[in-house]
Order: sequence, then C-alpha cells, then structure tokens
Amino acid sequence: MSARQLAITVGVAVLMGVLGLALGRYAAYLVNAVAIAALGALSLNLIIGYCGQISFAQGALLGVGAYTAGNLSNAGLDGAVAILGGGLLGAAVSALVGLPAMRLRGLYFAIATLAAQAILEYLFKILDPLTNGVSGLVITPPTILGFPMNSDQSLVVPSLVILVLAWLAVSRLMRTDLGRAFLVVRESEIVAKGMGIDVSHAKMQAFLIGGFIAGVAGALAGYANRLASPEAFTLDLSADYIAMIIIGGLGTWPGPLIGAAFVVLLPEAIQRVGEAAGISDILSALRELAFGLLIILFLIFEPRGLTALLSRLRPRGIGAAPHGSVGAPGESGQPQEGGSR
Amino acid sequence: MALTASDVTIRFGGVVAVNRMALDVLPGEIVGLIGPNGAGKTTFINCLSGTYRPNAGSALWGGDELIGLSPSALLRKGVARTFQNVASLHDLTVLDIAKLGASVRRDRRFGGHLLDFFRSERALEAALTESILAPLELTDVAHKPIQTLSYGRRKAVDLARALAGDPQLLLLDEPVAGLTSHEGMAMAKAVRDVRDRLGCAVIMVEHKMDVVMSTCDRIAVMAAGSKIFEGLPAAVQADAEVRRVYLGEP
Repeated sequence: MSARQLAITVGVAVLMGVLGLALGRYAAYLVNAVAIAALGALSLNLIIGYCGQISFAQGALLGVGAYTAGNLSNAGLDGAVAILGGGLLGAAVSALVGLPAMRLRGLYFAIATLAAQAILEYLFKILDPLTNGVSGLVITPPTILGFPMNSDQSLVVPSLVILVLAWLAVSRLMRTDLGRAFLVVRESEIVAKGMGIDVSHAKMQAFLIGGFIAGVAGALAGYANRLASPEAFTLDLSADYIAMIIIGGLGTWPGPLIGAAFVVLLPEAIQRVGEAAGISDILSALRELAFGLLIILFLIFEPRGLTALLSRLRPRGIGAAPHGSVGAPGESGQPQEGGSR
Repeated sequence: MALTASDVTIRFGGVVAVNRMALDVLPGEIVGLIGPNGAGKTTFINCLSGTYRPNAGSALWGGDELIGLSPSALLRKGVARTFQNVASLHDLTVLDIAKLGASVRRDRRFGGHLLDFFRSERALEAALTESILAPLELTDVAHKPIQTLSYGRRKAVDLARALAGDPQLLLLDEPVAGLTSHEGMAMAKAVRDVRDRLGCAVIMVEHKMDVVMSTCDRIAVMAAGSKIFEGLPAAVQADAEVRRVYLGEP
C-alpha cells in the first residue's frame, strides 16, 4: 500500500468514527452497518474484482462467521477471539466453496457457488444445536478485549479498527506476487499458466483470504444485530454484496467502501424521505427495482463504478482507481497461445 | 547445460503437428527455427515449454527430462518462453510484469506469501529496472500499465518477464513479428545481448529472415512437422530444398 492509501484509509475511518460516536445511536448504527458491509464487499472484491471468480455465496460465508462468533462468545470467550474464530471458519468454508473453481470457470463456477449458498442456508436451518434453527441464534452482547459491546456506539471502534486493518492488508496484498498473480488469473487463466503462475493455488488463496474477511464481517454483523438467523444470510445478501462491488467499481481500491456506503445508506435515505412524505410503503418496494436498475446501468456505462465516476469528476482526485476500463471479470484478455502451428 | 530434444511427436486428432522432431541446442547458442506456416514450429515450442504434452519423445536438459513438466516447474528449472501474441493485462504495470517473471523461480507455498507481505520490494525493483528493463529500453515506462504501450513495447515487456526469471533456456516465439524494422533490430540486439550476458541457450521461432540470418548461430528448418534441414545460416540460404519449401526461388 502507498503512504497516501494509508492516510486515506485512516482518515476515512477516523471521520466515520467521529460521526458514529458524536451523532447518537442511529448514526452509530449506520456507521457499523457501512463498516460491516464494506468488509464484506472488500472480501468479495478480492474474489471477484481482483481474482475474477464470480461467487454468489458470500452472504452465507458471513453467516458462517456470525454463527461461529456468536456461539464462541455465548460460551464465554472474548469477542476478539470469537471474531477470529468466525474468520477462520469463514476461510475454511470459503475454501470448500472455492473448490469447484479448480475445475470450473466463469459462469459454471458461479452456478456452483449458488449451490453452495443454498446448502449453507439449509445447514443454518437444520444444524439446530449450533444455529437454533429457523428462529435464529440469539447472541449475548460480548466483551471485546474487556470492553462490553452493549450498544451500537460501543461496536463502532472495533468494527472500524478491523475495517482499517483488513483494508490495509488487502492493499498490501495486491502489491505482492500473490496479488499480481490474482490480476493475471482474472484476465486469462491460459496466460497465467503460461507465465508460470499456479492458477489453482492463486484461486485457493483468494478464497481463503476472502473467506476470512467475510467471516470476520459476519461475526461483527452478528454482534451488531445480536442475532444470527437464516433470513439474514440469504442469496439476497450475496446479491447485495455483488451490487456493492459493481456500483463501487469492480477491482478498484476504494470501490468496496463507496459501494457499501451507497447500498446501505440509499435505502435508509429512501426510508426517511418516505416517512417524511408519508409514502414509505411504495418507496421501500422500489428499493429492489432501484438496485437492479443501477447495476444494469453501471455495467453498461461504467463498469468501474462510482470510483471511476468520482475520479472523472476530479482528474487527480481518487487516483487510486486504475485508469483504463475493464469489462466484467469473466471477460478474458486476449489468449496468448497462437493455436497449433 | 545443453538441450537434447529427440523424437518429439504430437498429434491433434488425425493431424501429426510435430513428427519425430529432434533439435540440440548448446549453452550460449541461438538456434533459429524457421519454416512455412503450419510447419509445427510453435507447437514444438509449446511441447518444450509445458503448454502441450507430446505423445512421444524426450527433451533432456542437463540430464533432466523436460517433457511432462508444468510451465511453472519448467520456469523453476530455468526454461522460459515468450509468446507470439501479447496479452494486455489490465492494471499491471511493466514493473509488475517483471516482478511476476522474477517470482516464478521461487516456490512460494508454506507461508512464503506471508513473508512477501512484510518485505519491501524496493531492492527488487531497483535490480529489475537496472538489469532487465534498462537494456530493453523500458525504464521510462516502468510504472505505466502495459495496455497503454505500443505492440512493440509490449513484446519487449514479455521478453523482460521471461528474462526476469533468470532463464538458462529461452524459447522465443516470433519475437520480432509485427514490430517495425527499427523495433525488430533492437529486439534482435537485445536477444543477442541476453545470450552474451547470461550464456543461455536460445531457440527462436521467426519469419523475418534478415533478423534470423543476423541473429542465429544455427538454423533448423521445419516443414509439415519435421525437420528438413539444419545448418549454418549461409548453408540454409543455399539449400535447394529449403528454397523450394520456404524461402522461394530467387
């Protein structure tokens, strides 16, 4: 990561922290929601945006983290340990979700992740002793490193600290050989193989790291909601995360946070406007429609998402967004092998 | 180390693309591989670089069998190749590609990636810039994304990637095809310089005869999957069969 990325990351987190702690409970709730969504989007951006493996199972991976951390802290462990546990199990399950990617590519793999999402949702419902079935696991507010997490405000600092650490870790990762290998795998597996990159190994690392971050995000989501239930981690959530990274900008540095803020705050704004105008029923029904439309519009006109729009408004603004345009991650670069001659 | 390839044969369905091809290359030698389109030159290179697995044959490299190894295993043994067409890899800079090339000789499982995480790349960047990018005149674009470069420069980047892995056997697939004559001459000079500096064995598939004649120490001619002639550049030009099959009558 560059010094500027470090400064921006810490600066944004401090700003979010001040807003969340100064403006009362509702602001703290929103900051937590954005931070958790940004973590989830960060993990999916790693898998889809950087490594090019389209996955619809990220919502369920957050669920794995929420149930794991919930059970661990309900059993008396410190929240920090429980969150770590959620991340580790998230990574393990993510590796299983990613296994088909060793053989399948593009849409075929995406379908396999749909199946993984469905299986995990089913497991959340039937593994009664661990998940408490359809009614959901009630999570007692834990203490994190001794601090009790008994309000929205108290969770602001841990979630922002974790967000910053994860953000910096991923930024750093993308400047190592492994991160560069992800980008080549995204463009073309044939090219990557020819360059001597172990494609399966690179993909598995992306799933492990992405799964860990998703598990941590899920653990925080469980603590924020004090509940882990099957309805919270459905395919809808996976779709929301895909919306976030597309709207924010696939494979861009600030994209996951911008997309997460947009997707979390827009419905809240619609809700407030609706309540003020007395038409909240109609407007909340429009939410899904609005997101669907936005995703299509972004895919057609600006695959690099809001990040690219912002950097176009200010040419030297959020310069971390790489220049040039990229299509959907499945779209491969020109294959290098010159056929059989 | 010397390369001794013998009896390399690969079939695609009923087509025998490479038929009992044999080729020896000594260290420090540049061997040109020429022949008409469809002769099996690139396919032969693909067999040596692990892209294809031939049906039969062997390629001994200092006593080790290369046939059957994956591209990444071959790169660790010092066998690197360049490609005919260069992919445009979004977001990756010239220096990134060189780093990727340098990374392949290290086996990085078992926590190696974790060490990368905490290691500064400054020294590596400086070394790559000086020893790899500078001779290929890529220093000024080191931090540019490669899709912003001209085709000729992208081919130089591909060569830089192969060289960053410190190869002992370099397989070049049409390194000057599509380049302007100035770029082509610079590329040919770069290949000779690399050979002089690293003392590596080079196989070069190429159609541009002036480059082949001025660069290669020895030339092998392929037609219809087999080697039909091998000898010094002057002898190749004089050979009646090569003229008939490939070069054309004067």
